[in-house]
Amino acid sequence: MTLTTPAANPVTATAEDAAAVRRRPDTYRWSSRAFALPGLLVVAVMLYLPFLWTAYLSFTEFNGLGDPEWVGLAKYREMFADAGFLGSLGNTLLWVVGTLVLPVGLGLLIAVLAHGIKGSFWYRLPFLLPYAISGVAVGVIWTFILQTGGALSEALTFLHLPGQDLRWLLDAPLNTIVMIVAATWQGAGVNALLFGIGLQSIPKEPIEAARMDGASGWTMFRHVTWPMLAPLTTVVVGLSIVGSLKTFDIIWAMTKGGPGRSSETLALTMYKETFVSNDYGLGAAVAIFLTVITVAASLLYLRRQLSDAKEL
Amino acid sequence: MADRMRKAAIVALGLLWLTPVYLMLANAAKTDEQYGLVSVWQAVGFDGLWQNMLAAWERGRISEGIASTALYSVASPGLAVLVGAAAGFAIVALRLKHGFVWFSVIFSSTVFPIQMVLMPLFIGYVEADLYDTRAGMILIYTAISVPFSAFVMRNFFSGIARHVFEAAVMDGAATWQIFWRIYLPMSGSALVAIFVLQATFIWNDLLLGLTLTQSTETRPVMTALSALQSTYGGSTMPTVLAGGLIVSIPTIALFLIMQRSFTRGLALGQF
Repeated sequence: MTLTTPAANPVTATAEDAAAVRRRPDTYRWSSRAFALPGLLVVAVMLYLPFLWTAYLSFTEFNGLGDPEWVGLAKYREMFADAGFLGSLGNTLLWVVGTLVLPVGLGLLIAVLAHGIKGSFWYRLPFLLPYAISGVAVGVIWTFILQTGGALSEALTFLHLPGQDLRWLLDAPLNTIVMIVAATWQGAGVNALLFGIGLQSIPKEPIEAARMDGASGWTMFRHVTWPMLAPLTTVVVGLSIVGSLKTFDIIWAMTKGGPGRSSETLALTMYKETFVSNDYGLGAAVAIFLTVITVAASLLYLRRQLSDAKEL
Repeated sequence: MADRMRKAAIVALGLLWLTPVYLMLANAAKTDEQYGLVSVWQAVGFDGLWQNMLAAWERGRISEGIASTALYSVASPGLAVLVGAAAGFAIVALRLKHGFVWFSVIFSSTVFPIQMVLMPLFIGYVEADLYDTRAGMILIYTAISVPFSAFVMRNFFSGIARHVFEAAVMDGAATWQIFWRIYLPMSGSALVAIFVLQATFIWNDLLLGLTLTQSTETRPVMTALSALQSTYGGSTMPTVLAGGLIVSIPTIALFLIMQRSFTRGLALGQF
């Protein structure tokens, strides 16, 4: 083994290693299980078991006291008949669409602008900083900016721009849109970072070849860079959609889903039905529904992440 | 020329991005009187900063959650890094049978929204006397950090050559020694990256704290900020902003000090 390993980089795995893996007898049968057990156990007990329990509860009538009573699909019917739920679903879809446009689009723009500039890390820093701030604190800052007569209205008045009378957090769907902006402020930097890594890993040759053919600027981006970035874009889009479906903190801090239920999303509906209305069955049905669309969205990137991992 | 325009555009965008931070600082530092008189866009020094922070700290009850939140943010990522690394070690170095399947089982749990487990956790925690305890919070925060940790560590260990493991076996090292003395020290950068990122997430958590705690000794700090925010009839806007500032200082400081680890963690988590 030592002889076939390049001396310059002695700790890096090689193809022979992979071949050796397949030939080996099962020497570490028990120790391998012992090492994997804590991780599997904690995930099974704390995450998978509760998943199953929620799935069961979604078919029951339960208020947290006494025993859950089996009611079949009644809670799902109740859910789809509820105007509040449908409004919440609409807002959730608005979050998904808005997330594709804003954090993903702006993330790509920032990455493209910063790419190749010396010290691009520092240029990207202001965008990454809000990611270290909690959703609640982001909510606090943006509530302050967007409150009626707040910083934004004042700035618009000062600049003689329209929109100074808009009630940003009180009218739907405007309140959802401005919260997507707040979430963008928090999350676009991460997308920029990922796109930046993607841009760096694009090989030089096709770019040079295209340049020889006279491509530049937009043409270059559209026909050379963008197609090569596509696999990474899939991952970023998938992660962003899943993130937007799960958004809770920012909405909770800014509007609590209100006024009324006008800015509620499924993540909040689930919480409110369960812990405010004590309708556990309905909360569970909403959780299942949210999970189904989240899982569907995450197939976008999960398959890719896992197949990449398999090749390692 | 094109480069200069790109640079100008990104600087302008960056300044726009920092504007909310400026507004927060400028107004968290105003006395109530100044806040009423001066435009929110205008900074007037730091007259009110200390007083506002004190008000958020004491009346806003930020102080009560700090110790427990700090405990959660250190203990849980620490445990998760070890548990995840052990799982990665079992799969890569010890070649756990059906390792990839088990790996997928652990990693796929990141997909489900946390809402999916909230209610059973709440019920189960009450039954098991874990509700409103620090141990219970450390346990759930560890659980949600393990999949990411296992994902990164498995990928990282895959890059370590087989002969490193075999040489250690030849030298007579026990399996746990190989893990503890060789594999873990070799992966310092990945371990730190996971730790920094998960510590930030846990510090910033609201939903689990809201659901699984109620007393001041266990409730994490973001629940206090959220309460301060929603009842700011009692607290003035500068106080609420000062509260937001206090709870953001630790994670921003961690980010600025450990930015390389932070960004490495973000990158490692996606590939």
